[in-house]
Amino acid sequence: MAAVEKRRPAVAPAASFADSSRPAASRAAATAESEEDFLRQVGVTEMLRAALLKVLEARPEEPIAFLAHYFENMGLRSPANGGAGEPPGQLLLQQQRLGRALWHLRLAHHSQRTAFNNNVSVAYECLSASGRKKKPGLDGRTYSELLKRICRDGEAPEEVVAPLLHKIQCRDHEAVPLDVFRAGMLTCFVLLEFVARASALYQLLEDPALAVADRRVGQAVLDTLEGALQASDGGAVPARYLEAGSRLGPDSLALAMDRALVARRPSSPMTREEFLEKAAALFIAKVKPVA
Amino acid sequence: MLSPERLALPDYEYLAQRHVLTYMEDAVCQLLENKEDISQYGVARFFTEYFNSVCQGTHILFREFSFIQATPHNRASFLRAFWKCFRTVGKNGDLLTMREYHCLLQLLCPDFPLELTQKAARIVLMDDAMDCLMSFSDFLFAFQIQFYYSEFLESVAAIYQDLLAGKNPNTVIVPTSSSGQHRQRPPLGEASVLEGVEASLFSQCLENLCDRHKYSCPPPALVKEVLSNVQRLTFYGFLVALSKHHGINQALGALPDKGDLMHDPAMDEELERL
Repeated sequence: MAAVEKRRPAVAPAASFADSSRPAASRAAATAESEEDFLRQVGVTEMLRAALLKVLEARPEEPIAFLAHYFENMGLRSPANGGAGEPPGQLLLQQQRLGRALWHLRLAHHSQRTAFNNNVSVAYECLSASGRKKKPGLDGRTYSELLKRICRDGEAPEEVVAPLLHKIQCRDHEAVPLDVFRAGMLTCFVLLEFVARASALYQLLEDPALAVADRRVGQAVLDTLEGALQASDGGAVPARYLEAGSRLGPDSLALAMDRALVARRPSSPMTREEFLEKAAALFIAKVKPVA
Repeated sequence: MLSPERLALPDYEYLAQRHVLTYMEDAVCQLLENKEDISQYGVARFFTEYFNSVCQGTHILFREFSFIQATPHNRASFLRAFWKCFRTVGKNGDLLTMREYHCLLQLLCPDFPLELTQKAARIVLMDDAMDCLMSFSDFLFAFQIQFYYSEFLESVAAIYQDLLAGKNPNTVIVPTSSSGQHRQRPPLGEASVLEGVEASLFSQCLENLCDRHKYSCPPPALVKEVLSNVQRLTFYGFLVALSKHHGINQALGALPDKGDLMHDPAMDEELERL
Protein backbone atom coordinates (compact mmCIF):
# COMPACT_ATOMS: atom_id res chain seq x y z
CA MET A 1 0.00 0.00 0.00
CA ALA A 2 2.82 2.43 0.77
CA ALA A 3 4.16 1.84 -2.73
CA VAL A 4 0.85 3.01 -4.15
CA GLU A 5 1.23 6.34 -2.42
CA LYS A 6 4.69 6.86 -3.91
CA ARG A 7 3.60 5.94 -7.41
CA ARG A 8 0.66 8.34 -7.51
CA PRO A 9 1.39 11.50 -9.51
CA ALA A 10 1.10 14.65 -7.44
CA VAL A 11 -2.53 15.62 -7.31
CA ALA A 12 -3.21 19.26 -8.09
CA PRO A 13 -6.78 19.67 -6.92
CA ALA A 14 -6.71 23.46 -6.95
CA ALA A 15 -6.22 23.63 -10.68
CA SER A 16 -8.79 20.98 -11.53
CA PHE A 17 -11.44 22.50 -9.25
CA ALA A 18 -11.12 25.85 -10.94
CA ASP A 19 -11.40 24.28 -14.39
CA SER A 20 -13.81 21.39 -14.36
CA SER A 21 -16.38 22.21 -11.73
CA ARG A 22 -16.93 25.88 -12.34
CA PRO A 23 -20.65 26.67 -12.12
CA ALA A 24 -22.55 27.74 -15.22
CA ALA A 25 -22.35 31.45 -14.44
CA SER A 26 -19.13 32.83 -15.86
CA ARG A 27 -16.66 34.25 -13.38
CA ALA A 28 -14.02 36.88 -13.99
CA ALA A 29 -10.45 35.60 -13.96
CA ALA A 30 -9.77 37.71 -10.87
CA THR A 31 -12.45 35.90 -8.88
CA ALA A 32 -11.01 32.55 -9.90
CA GLU A 33 -7.60 33.70 -8.71
CA SER A 34 -8.94 34.77 -5.35
CA GLU A 35 -10.76 31.46 -5.01
CA GLU A 36 -7.56 29.52 -5.51
CA ASP A 37 -5.84 31.78 -3.01
CA PHE A 38 -8.62 31.22 -0.52
CA LEU A 39 -8.39 27.47 -0.90
CA ARG A 40 -4.66 27.47 -0.45
CA GLN A 41 -4.77 29.86 2.48
CA VAL A 42 -7.32 27.84 4.38
CA GLY A 43 -5.40 24.66 3.62
CA VAL A 44 -8.20 22.97 1.69
CA THR A 45 -5.89 21.67 -1.00
CA GLU A 46 -3.61 19.93 1.46
CA MET A 47 -6.55 18.72 3.52
CA LEU A 48 -8.24 17.06 0.59
CA ARG A 49 -5.03 15.59 -0.73
CA ALA A 50 -4.38 13.96 2.65
CA ALA A 51 -7.97 12.75 2.84
CA LEU A 52 -7.82 11.25 -0.63
CA LEU A 53 -4.59 9.42 0.14
CA LYS A 54 -6.15 8.02 3.28
CA VAL A 55 -9.17 6.80 1.33
CA LEU A 56 -6.93 5.08 -1.20
CA GLU A 57 -4.89 3.46 1.52
CA ALA A 58 -7.86 2.15 3.49
CA ARG A 59 -10.13 1.44 0.52
CA PRO A 60 -13.27 1.42 2.67
CA GLU A 61 -16.52 -0.07 1.44
CA GLU A 62 -18.24 3.27 1.97
CA PRO A 63 -15.75 6.01 1.05
CA ILE A 64 -18.25 8.86 1.58
CA ALA A 65 -19.09 7.80 5.14
CA PHE A 66 -15.37 7.33 5.71
CA LEU A 67 -14.72 10.90 4.60
CA ALA A 68 -17.47 12.19 6.88
CA HIS A 69 -15.81 10.51 9.88
CA TYR A 70 -12.38 11.60 8.77
CA PHE A 71 -13.30 15.28 8.76
CA GLU A 72 -15.29 14.93 11.95
CA ASN A 73 -12.21 13.60 13.67
CA MET A 74 -10.11 16.38 12.20
CA GLY A 75 -12.55 18.92 13.56
CA LEU A 76 -12.19 17.42 17.03
CA ARG A 77 -8.46 17.70 16.85
CA SER A 78 -8.45 21.46 16.30
CA PRO A 79 -7.47 23.42 19.41
CA ALA A 80 -10.00 26.22 18.91
CA ASN A 81 -13.12 24.30 19.89
CA GLY A 82 -15.19 27.37 20.59
CA GLY A 83 -12.51 29.77 21.76
CA ALA A 84 -11.35 30.88 25.18
CA GLY A 85 -11.99 28.84 28.28
CA GLU A 86 -10.36 26.27 30.52
CA PRO A 87 -8.26 23.74 28.69
CA PRO A 88 -9.95 20.32 28.88
CA GLY A 89 -9.13 18.27 31.99
CA GLN A 90 -6.80 15.32 32.09
CA LEU A 91 -9.61 12.78 31.89
CA LEU A 92 -11.14 14.39 28.83
CA LEU A 93 -7.76 14.54 27.10
CA GLN A 94 -7.24 10.88 27.85
CA GLN A 95 -10.63 10.01 26.41
CA GLN A 96 -9.91 12.08 23.32
CA ARG A 97 -6.58 10.34 22.84
CA LEU A 98 -8.20 6.94 23.17
CA GLY A 99 -10.91 7.92 20.72
CA ARG A 100 -8.40 9.12 18.20
CA ALA A 101 -6.23 6.05 18.57
CA LEU A 102 -9.28 3.85 18.08
CA TRP A 103 -10.21 5.76 14.98
CA HIS A 104 -6.76 5.25 13.50
CA LEU A 105 -6.81 1.54 14.31
CA ARG A 106 -10.09 1.06 12.53
CA LEU A 107 -9.04 2.71 9.27
CA ALA A 108 -7.71 -0.44 7.69
CA HIS A 109 -8.66 -4.07 8.08
CA HIS A 110 -6.05 -6.15 9.91
CA SER A 111 -5.41 -8.21 6.81
CA GLN A 112 -4.17 -5.13 4.96
CA ARG A 113 -0.92 -5.59 6.79
CA THR A 114 1.06 -2.52 5.66
CA ALA A 115 -1.80 -0.10 6.11
CA PHE A 116 -2.73 -1.68 9.45
CA ASN A 117 0.82 -1.44 10.77
CA ASN A 118 1.08 2.19 9.70
CA ASN A 119 -2.11 2.96 11.57
CA VAL A 120 -0.92 1.06 14.64
CA SER A 121 2.22 3.22 14.70
CA VAL A 122 0.18 6.40 14.44
CA ALA A 123 -2.16 5.22 17.21
CA TYR A 124 0.83 4.36 19.38
CA GLU A 125 2.31 7.82 18.91
CA CYS A 126 -1.02 9.40 19.66
CA LEU A 127 -1.29 7.53 22.96
CA SER A 128 2.35 8.06 23.86
CA ALA A 129 2.23 11.82 23.50
CA SER A 130 3.20 13.49 26.73
CA GLY A 131 0.62 15.60 28.50
CA ARG A 132 0.85 17.97 31.42
CA LYS A 133 0.86 15.25 34.05
CA LYS A 134 1.85 12.49 31.74
CA LYS A 135 5.30 11.24 30.87
CA PRO A 136 5.94 10.24 27.27
CA GLY A 137 5.31 6.60 26.37
CA LEU A 138 2.40 4.22 26.59
CA ASP A 139 1.57 2.85 30.02
CA GLY A 140 -0.03 -0.51 30.75
CA ARG A 141 -3.19 1.08 32.11
CA THR A 142 -4.01 3.00 28.94
CA TYR A 143 -3.13 -0.07 26.91
CA SER A 144 -5.55 -2.22 28.91
CA GLU A 145 -8.28 0.37 28.60
CA LEU A 146 -7.81 0.48 24.85
CA LEU A 147 -8.02 -3.31 24.60
CA LYS A 148 -11.24 -3.32 26.60
CA ARG A 149 -12.71 -0.56 24.45
CA ILE A 150 -11.90 -2.39 21.25
CA CYS A 151 -13.51 -5.58 22.49
CA ARG A 152 -16.57 -3.76 23.76
CA ASP A 153 -17.07 -1.88 20.51
CA GLY A 154 -16.51 -5.11 18.61
CA GLU A 155 -19.54 -6.51 20.42
CA ALA A 156 -17.73 -9.50 21.76
CA PRO A 157 -19.18 -10.73 25.07
CA GLU A 158 -16.97 -9.96 28.06
CA GLU A 159 -16.60 -13.55 29.22
CA VAL A 160 -15.38 -14.47 25.76
CA VAL A 161 -12.57 -11.93 25.59
CA ALA A 162 -11.60 -11.86 29.26
CA PRO A 163 -9.10 -14.74 28.94
CA LEU A 164 -7.39 -12.94 26.09
CA LEU A 165 -7.08 -9.71 28.01
CA HIS A 166 -5.70 -11.66 30.91
CA LYS A 167 -2.98 -13.06 28.68
CA ILE A 168 -1.86 -9.97 26.86
CA GLN A 169 -2.46 -7.19 29.36
CA CYS A 170 0.47 -5.40 30.92
CA ARG A 171 0.75 -4.13 34.46
CA ASP A 172 -0.65 -0.65 34.99
CA HIS A 173 2.63 1.19 35.39
CA GLU A 174 4.60 -0.91 32.99
CA ALA A 175 5.82 0.76 29.81
CA VAL A 176 4.44 -0.89 26.70
CA PRO A 177 6.84 -0.99 23.75
CA LEU A 178 5.60 -0.65 20.18
CA ASP A 179 6.00 -4.26 19.16
CA VAL A 180 4.00 -5.51 22.13
CA PHE A 181 1.36 -2.92 21.31
CA ARG A 182 1.24 -3.97 17.67
CA ALA A 183 0.99 -7.67 18.50
CA GLY A 184 -1.74 -6.94 21.02
CA MET A 185 -3.78 -4.88 18.60
CA LEU A 186 -3.50 -7.46 15.86
CA THR A 187 -4.49 -10.29 18.18
CA CYS A 188 -7.45 -8.33 19.43
CA PHE A 189 -8.85 -7.53 16.01
CA VAL A 190 -8.28 -11.02 14.73
CA LEU A 191 -10.06 -12.44 17.77
CA LEU A 192 -13.02 -10.15 17.19
CA GLU A 193 -13.31 -11.31 13.61
CA PHE A 194 -12.94 -14.91 14.75
CA VAL A 195 -15.74 -14.48 17.27
CA ALA A 196 -17.92 -12.87 14.62
CA ARG A 197 -17.41 -15.80 12.30
CA ALA A 198 -18.00 -18.28 15.11
CA SER A 199 -21.23 -16.48 15.83
CA ALA A 200 -22.27 -16.77 12.21
CA LEU A 201 -21.37 -20.44 12.34
CA TYR A 202 -23.50 -20.90 15.43
CA GLN A 203 -26.39 -19.27 13.61
CA LEU A 204 -26.23 -22.07 11.07
CA LEU A 205 -26.29 -24.73 13.76
CA GLU A 206 -29.00 -23.05 15.75
CA ASP A 207 -32.52 -24.39 15.77
CA PRO A 208 -34.59 -21.30 14.96
CA ALA A 209 -37.49 -22.35 17.14
CA LEU A 210 -35.42 -23.04 20.24
CA ALA A 211 -32.64 -20.49 19.73
CA VAL A 212 -30.09 -23.08 20.83
CA ALA A 213 -27.95 -25.61 19.04
CA ASP A 214 -27.73 -29.30 19.64
CA ARG A 215 -24.79 -29.90 21.97
CA ARG A 216 -23.53 -32.90 20.04
CA VAL A 217 -23.37 -30.96 16.80
CA GLY A 218 -21.89 -27.88 18.44
CA GLN A 219 -19.23 -29.93 20.14
CA ALA A 220 -18.43 -31.76 16.91
CA VAL A 221 -17.82 -28.44 15.19
CA LEU A 222 -15.62 -27.22 18.02
CA ASP A 223 -13.63 -30.44 18.03
CA THR A 224 -13.08 -30.18 14.29
CA LEU A 225 -11.98 -26.59 14.71
CA GLU A 226 -9.56 -27.59 17.45
CA GLY A 227 -8.18 -30.38 15.29
CA ALA A 228 -7.67 -27.96 12.44
CA LEU A 229 -5.89 -25.47 14.66
CA GLN A 230 -3.59 -28.16 15.98
CA ALA A 231 -2.84 -29.30 12.48
CA SER A 232 -1.59 -25.82 11.67
CA ASP A 233 0.87 -25.90 14.55
CA GLY A 234 4.56 -26.31 14.00
CA GLY A 235 5.43 -23.25 11.98
CA ALA A 236 4.22 -21.77 8.76
CA VAL A 237 4.56 -24.87 6.63
CA PRO A 238 2.12 -24.63 3.71
CA ALA A 239 1.25 -28.33 3.87
CA ARG A 240 0.02 -27.89 7.43
CA TYR A 241 -2.32 -25.11 6.39
CA LEU A 242 -3.67 -27.27 3.62
CA GLU A 243 -4.35 -30.00 6.11
CA ALA A 244 -6.04 -27.62 8.49
CA GLY A 245 -8.09 -26.21 5.66
CA SER A 246 -9.22 -29.61 4.53
CA ARG A 247 -10.32 -30.51 8.03
CA LEU A 248 -12.52 -27.46 8.04
CA GLY A 249 -13.86 -28.15 4.58
CA PRO A 250 -17.58 -28.79 4.21
CA ASP A 251 -17.07 -32.52 3.69
CA SER A 252 -15.06 -33.18 6.84
CA LEU A 253 -17.21 -30.91 8.89
CA ALA A 254 -20.40 -32.49 7.60
CA LEU A 255 -19.04 -35.95 8.39
CA ALA A 256 -18.12 -34.89 11.92
CA MET A 257 -21.55 -33.44 12.49
CA ASP A 258 -23.21 -36.53 11.05
CA ARG A 259 -21.21 -38.85 13.26
CA ALA A 260 -22.14 -36.79 16.32
CA LEU A 261 -25.83 -37.09 15.61
CA VAL A 262 -25.63 -40.80 14.93
CA ALA A 263 -23.75 -41.56 18.16
CA ARG A 264 -25.92 -42.63 20.99
CA ARG A 265 -25.21 -39.81 23.41
CA PRO A 266 -28.35 -37.96 24.50
CA SER A 267 -28.97 -34.54 23.06
CA SER A 268 -28.91 -31.36 25.14
CA PRO A 269 -28.85 -27.69 24.21
CA MET A 270 -25.76 -25.53 23.79
CA THR A 271 -26.22 -21.80 24.05
CA ARG A 272 -24.55 -19.23 21.82
CA GLU A 273 -22.52 -17.88 24.75
CA GLU A 274 -21.13 -21.30 25.55
CA PHE A 275 -20.29 -21.96 21.93
CA LEU A 276 -18.52 -18.62 21.55
CA GLU A 277 -16.63 -19.01 24.80
CA LYS A 278 -15.34 -22.41 23.79
CA ALA A 279 -14.47 -21.29 20.27
CA ALA A 280 -12.65 -18.23 21.54
CA ALA A 281 -10.80 -20.39 24.05
CA LEU A 282 -9.40 -22.45 21.18
CA PHE A 283 -8.04 -19.29 19.62
CA ILE A 284 -6.77 -17.78 22.84
CA ALA A 285 -4.90 -20.96 23.70
CA LYS A 286 -2.66 -20.17 20.73
CA VAL A 287 -1.85 -16.68 21.94
CA LYS A 288 1.51 -16.23 23.61
CA PRO A 289 1.22 -14.45 26.97
CA VAL A 290 3.13 -11.21 27.43
CA ALA A 291 6.45 -11.87 29.14
CA MET B 1 -16.67 -8.09 5.32
CA LEU B 2 -13.95 -7.26 2.87
CA SER B 3 -14.59 -7.73 -0.80
CA PRO B 4 -11.22 -8.52 -2.35
CA GLU B 5 -12.09 -7.05 -5.75
CA ARG B 6 -12.37 -3.62 -4.17
CA LEU B 7 -8.76 -3.81 -2.98
CA ALA B 8 -7.38 -4.93 -6.31
CA LEU B 9 -8.88 -2.16 -8.40
CA PRO B 10 -6.57 0.55 -9.69
CA ASP B 11 -6.92 3.79 -7.72
CA TYR B 12 -8.91 5.68 -10.30
CA GLU B 13 -11.44 2.92 -10.85
CA TYR B 14 -12.02 2.45 -7.13
CA LEU B 15 -12.67 6.17 -6.71
CA ALA B 16 -14.87 6.30 -9.80
CA GLN B 17 -17.07 3.47 -8.60
CA ARG B 18 -18.32 5.51 -5.68
CA HIS B 19 -17.97 8.88 -7.40
CA VAL B 20 -15.61 10.02 -4.65
CA LEU B 21 -14.04 12.75 -6.79
CA THR B 22 -17.45 14.06 -7.87
CA TYR B 23 -18.39 14.63 -4.24
CA MET B 24 -14.99 16.08 -3.30
CA GLU B 25 -15.18 18.60 -6.14
CA ASP B 26 -18.74 19.49 -5.26
CA ALA B 27 -17.73 19.90 -1.60
CA VAL B 28 -15.10 22.46 -2.60
CA CYS B 29 -17.60 24.31 -4.83
CA GLN B 30 -20.08 24.50 -1.99
CA LEU B 31 -17.30 25.69 0.30
CA LEU B 32 -16.39 28.47 -2.12
CA GLU B 33 -20.00 29.57 -2.39
CA ASN B 34 -20.17 29.86 1.39
CA LYS B 35 -16.65 31.08 2.02
CA GLU B 36 -17.63 34.24 3.87
CA ASP B 37 -19.05 32.15 6.69
CA ILE B 38 -16.17 29.77 7.15
CA SER B 39 -13.22 30.30 9.47
CA GLN B 40 -10.09 28.18 9.33
CA TYR B 41 -11.30 25.53 11.72
CA GLY B 42 -14.75 25.64 10.20
CA VAL B 43 -13.48 23.98 7.04
CA ALA B 44 -13.20 20.56 8.60
CA ARG B 45 -16.62 21.00 10.14
CA PHE B 46 -18.01 22.11 6.80
CA PHE B 47 -16.67 19.02 5.07
CA THR B 48 -17.99 16.83 7.88
CA GLU B 49 -21.46 18.24 7.41
CA TYR B 50 -21.20 17.98 3.67
CA PHE B 51 -20.19 14.33 3.59
CA ASN B 52 -22.68 13.43 6.31
CA SER B 53 -25.43 15.01 4.27
CA VAL B 54 -24.30 13.00 1.25
CA CYS B 55 -24.57 9.81 3.30
CA GLN B 56 -28.02 10.74 4.56
CA GLY B 57 -29.27 11.73 1.11
CA THR B 58 -30.19 15.31 1.99
CA HIS B 59 -27.41 16.80 -0.10
CA ILE B 60 -29.56 17.02 -3.24
CA LEU B 61 -32.18 19.35 -1.83
CA PHE B 62 -32.53 22.59 -3.81
CA ARG B 63 -29.50 21.78 -5.91
CA GLU B 64 -29.22 22.21 -9.67
CA PHE B 65 -30.38 19.42 -11.97
CA SER B 66 -26.89 18.68 -13.31
CA PHE B 67 -25.80 17.75 -9.78
CA ILE B 68 -28.92 15.77 -8.95
CA GLN B 69 -28.50 13.50 -11.88
CA ALA B 70 -24.72 13.23 -11.57
CA THR B 71 -24.54 9.93 -9.65
CA PRO B 72 -26.88 7.00 -9.00
CA HIS B 73 -26.81 7.80 -5.29
CA ASN B 74 -27.90 11.37 -6.03
CA ARG B 75 -30.77 10.16 -8.16
CA ALA B 76 -31.94 7.69 -5.56
CA SER B 77 -31.66 10.34 -2.83
CA PHE B 78 -33.72 12.74 -4.90
CA LEU B 79 -36.44 10.16 -5.46
CA ARG B 80 -36.53 9.43 -1.77
CA ALA B 81 -36.70 13.13 -0.88
CA PHE B 82 -39.55 13.68 -3.35
CA TRP B 83 -41.48 10.80 -1.84
CA LYS B 84 -40.93 11.97 1.73
CA CYS B 85 -41.83 15.56 1.01
CA PHE B 86 -44.97 14.94 -0.97
CA ARG B 87 -46.42 11.66 0.18
CA THR B 88 -49.24 13.55 1.88
CA VAL B 89 -50.46 14.29 -1.63
CA GLY B 90 -50.95 10.59 -2.04
CA LYS B 91 -52.48 10.20 1.39
CA ASN B 92 -55.27 12.58 0.57
CA GLY B 93 -55.96 10.67 -2.59
CA ASP B 94 -55.44 13.76 -4.74
CA LEU B 95 -54.94 13.27 -8.45
CA LEU B 96 -52.68 15.77 -10.14
CA THR B 97 -51.78 16.68 -13.70
CA MET B 98 -48.31 16.39 -15.15
CA ARG B 99 -47.77 20.13 -14.81
CA GLU B 100 -48.74 20.04 -11.15
CA TYR B 101 -46.25 17.25 -10.44
CA HIS B 102 -43.67 19.25 -12.29
CA CYS B 103 -44.29 22.19 -9.97
CA LEU B 104 -43.67 19.93 -7.01
CA LEU B 105 -40.43 18.72 -8.55
CA GLN B 106 -39.32 22.29 -9.13
CA LEU B 107 -39.79 23.03 -5.45
CA LEU B 108 -36.97 20.61 -4.76
CA CYS B 109 -34.95 21.36 -7.89
CA PRO B 110 -35.56 24.76 -9.49
CA ASP B 111 -34.22 23.84 -12.90
CA PHE B 112 -35.70 20.38 -13.22
CA PRO B 113 -36.42 19.83 -16.94
CA LEU B 114 -40.04 19.61 -18.04
CA GLU B 115 -39.12 17.06 -20.67
CA LEU B 116 -38.31 14.47 -18.04
CA THR B 117 -41.58 14.96 -16.19
CA GLN B 118 -43.39 14.63 -19.51
CA LYS B 119 -41.65 11.37 -20.27
CA ALA B 120 -42.59 10.03 -16.86
CA ALA B 121 -46.21 11.02 -17.37
CA ARG B 122 -46.21 9.26 -20.74
CA ILE B 123 -45.44 6.02 -18.99
CA VAL B 124 -48.45 6.34 -16.70
CA LEU B 125 -50.79 7.57 -19.39
CA MET B 126 -49.42 5.22 -22.05
CA ASP B 127 -48.63 8.12 -24.35
CA ASP B 128 -52.28 9.14 -24.29
CA ALA B 129 -53.95 12.43 -23.38
CA MET B 130 -51.18 14.23 -21.56
CA ASP B 131 -53.33 16.44 -19.39
CA CYS B 132 -55.02 13.54 -17.64
CA LEU B 133 -54.89 13.18 -13.89
CA MET B 134 -52.50 10.74 -12.22
CA SER B 135 -52.33 9.27 -8.74
CA PHE B 136 -49.24 9.95 -6.63
CA SER B 137 -48.07 6.37 -6.54
CA ASP B 138 -48.55 5.83 -10.29
CA PHE B 139 -46.58 8.95 -11.07
CA LEU B 140 -43.88 8.28 -8.48
CA PHE B 141 -43.01 4.78 -9.67
CA ALA B 142 -43.09 5.78 -13.33
CA PHE B 143 -40.94 8.79 -12.51
CA GLN B 144 -38.48 6.58 -10.70
CA ILE B 145 -37.91 4.41 -13.76
CA GLN B 146 -37.69 7.37 -16.10
CA PHE B 147 -35.31 9.38 -13.94
CA TYR B 148 -33.05 6.71 -12.49
CA TYR B 149 -32.64 4.77 -15.74
CA SER B 150 -32.79 7.69 -18.22
CA GLU B 151 -29.86 6.59 -20.34
CA PHE B 152 -30.95 2.97 -20.35
CA LEU B 153 -34.45 3.92 -21.51
CA GLU B 154 -33.07 5.99 -24.35
CA SER B 155 -31.15 3.02 -25.65
CA VAL B 156 -34.17 0.78 -25.19
CA ALA B 157 -36.28 3.21 -27.21
CA ALA B 158 -33.73 3.10 -30.04
CA ILE B 159 -33.69 -0.70 -29.98
CA TYR B 160 -37.47 -0.78 -30.00
CA GLN B 161 -37.63 1.49 -33.04
CA ASP B 162 -35.13 -0.73 -34.85
CA LEU B 163 -37.14 -3.84 -34.12
CA LEU B 164 -40.35 -2.16 -35.27
CA ALA B 165 -38.66 -1.24 -38.52
CA GLY B 166 -37.72 -4.86 -39.01
CA LYS B 167 -34.03 -4.40 -38.34
CA ASN B 168 -32.58 -7.00 -36.03
CA PRO B 169 -29.61 -5.51 -34.16
CA ASN B 170 -28.38 -8.97 -33.22
CA THR B 171 -27.44 -10.33 -36.64
CA VAL B 172 -24.38 -8.15 -37.05
CA ILE B 173 -22.40 -9.54 -34.15
CA VAL B 174 -21.37 -13.19 -34.43
CA PRO B 175 -18.69 -13.88 -37.11
CA THR B 176 -18.59 -17.65 -36.81
CA SER B 177 -21.99 -18.79 -38.01
CA SER B 178 -21.05 -20.84 -41.07
CA SER B 179 -24.22 -22.88 -41.13
CA GLY B 180 -26.10 -19.58 -41.18
CA GLN B 181 -28.77 -20.45 -38.66
CA HIS B 182 -30.59 -17.15 -38.41
CA ARG B 183 -33.88 -16.66 -36.69
CA GLN B 184 -36.76 -16.70 -39.10
CA ARG B 185 -38.17 -13.19 -39.11
CA PRO B 186 -41.79 -12.89 -40.13
CA PRO B 187 -42.23 -11.20 -43.54
CA LEU B 188 -42.62 -7.43 -43.15
CA GLY B 189 -46.31 -7.39 -44.00
CA GLU B 190 -47.13 -9.64 -41.07
CA ALA B 191 -45.02 -7.68 -38.58
CA SER B 192 -46.82 -4.43 -39.28
CA VAL B 193 -50.20 -5.92 -38.46
CA LEU B 194 -49.23 -7.08 -34.96
CA GLU B 195 -48.69 -4.45 -32.27
CA GLY B 196 -45.33 -3.92 -30.65
CA VAL B 197 -42.38 -6.30 -30.88
CA GLU B 198 -41.71 -9.93 -30.11
CA ALA B 199 -40.83 -10.26 -26.44
CA SER B 200 -38.14 -12.90 -26.70
CA LEU B 201 -36.18 -11.04 -29.38
CA PHE B 202 -36.54 -7.83 -27.46
CA SER B 203 -35.29 -9.61 -24.36
CA GLN B 204 -32.19 -10.80 -26.15
CA CYS B 205 -31.38 -7.31 -27.40
CA LEU B 206 -31.76 -5.87 -23.92
CA GLU B 207 -29.49 -8.54 -22.48
CA ASN B 208 -26.77 -7.45 -24.92
CA LEU B 209 -27.42 -3.84 -24.01
CA CYS B 210 -26.97 -4.49 -20.30
CA ASP B 211 -23.74 -6.37 -20.96
CA ARG B 212 -22.27 -3.68 -23.16
CA HIS B 213 -22.99 -0.60 -21.10
CA LYS B 214 -21.72 0.53 -17.75
CA TYR B 215 -24.49 2.91 -16.75
CA SER B 216 -27.24 1.72 -14.48
CA CYS B 217 -29.56 -0.91 -15.86
CA PRO B 218 -32.29 -2.68 -13.96
CA PRO B 219 -31.09 -6.13 -12.85
CA PRO B 220 -30.93 -8.16 -16.09
CA ALA B 221 -32.59 -11.19 -14.49
CA LEU B 222 -35.63 -9.12 -13.56
CA VAL B 223 -35.85 -7.53 -17.00
CA LYS B 224 -35.88 -11.02 -18.46
CA GLU B 225 -38.62 -11.96 -16.01
CA VAL B 226 -40.74 -9.04 -17.14
CA LEU B 227 -40.34 -10.04 -20.77
CA SER B 228 -40.94 -13.73 -20.27
CA ASN B 229 -44.58 -13.27 -19.28
CA VAL B 230 -45.78 -12.04 -22.66
CA GLN B 231 -45.50 -12.87 -26.34
CA ARG B 232 -45.42 -9.34 -27.65
CA LEU B 233 -45.28 -5.94 -26.05
CA THR B 234 -45.14 -2.24 -26.82
CA PHE B 235 -42.52 0.20 -25.59
CA TYR B 236 -44.78 1.83 -23.05
CA GLY B 237 -46.17 -1.53 -22.06
CA PHE B 238 -42.62 -2.51 -21.18
CA LEU B 239 -41.98 0.67 -19.18
CA VAL B 240 -45.22 0.27 -17.26
CA ALA B 241 -44.22 -3.29 -16.39
CA LEU B 242 -40.83 -2.06 -15.19
CA SER B 243 -42.38 0.64 -13.03
CA LYS B 244 -44.78 -1.77 -11.37
CA HIS B 245 -42.21 -4.49 -10.69
CA HIS B 246 -41.60 -4.91 -6.94
CA GLY B 247 -38.23 -6.56 -7.39
CA ILE B 248 -36.85 -3.74 -9.49
CA ASN B 249 -38.09 -1.19 -6.99
CA GLN B 250 -36.43 -3.07 -4.16
CA ALA B 251 -33.18 -3.48 -6.07
CA LEU B 252 -33.08 0.26 -6.63
CA GLY B 253 -33.62 0.79 -2.90
CA ALA B 254 -34.95 4.34 -2.95
CA LEU B 255 -38.66 3.87 -2.41
CA PRO B 256 -40.64 1.46 -0.23
CA ASP B 257 -43.11 -1.03 -1.66
CA LYS B 258 -46.24 0.46 -3.11
CA GLY B 259 -48.26 -0.71 -0.12
CA ASP B 260 -45.98 1.12 2.31
CA LEU B 261 -45.86 4.36 0.40
CA MET B 262 -48.18 6.16 2.80
CA HIS B 263 -46.81 4.46 5.90
CA ASP B 264 -45.45 7.16 8.12
CA PRO B 265 -45.61 6.23 11.81
CA ALA B 266 -43.63 9.29 12.92
CA MET B 267 -46.05 11.66 11.21
CA ASP B 268 -49.05 9.74 12.51
CA GLU B 269 -47.72 10.07 16.04
CA GLU B 270 -47.36 13.81 15.60
CA LEU B 271 -50.87 14.10 14.29
CA GLU B 272 -52.22 12.07 17.21
CA ARG B 273 -50.74 14.57 19.61
CA LEU B 274 -52.50 17.51 18.02
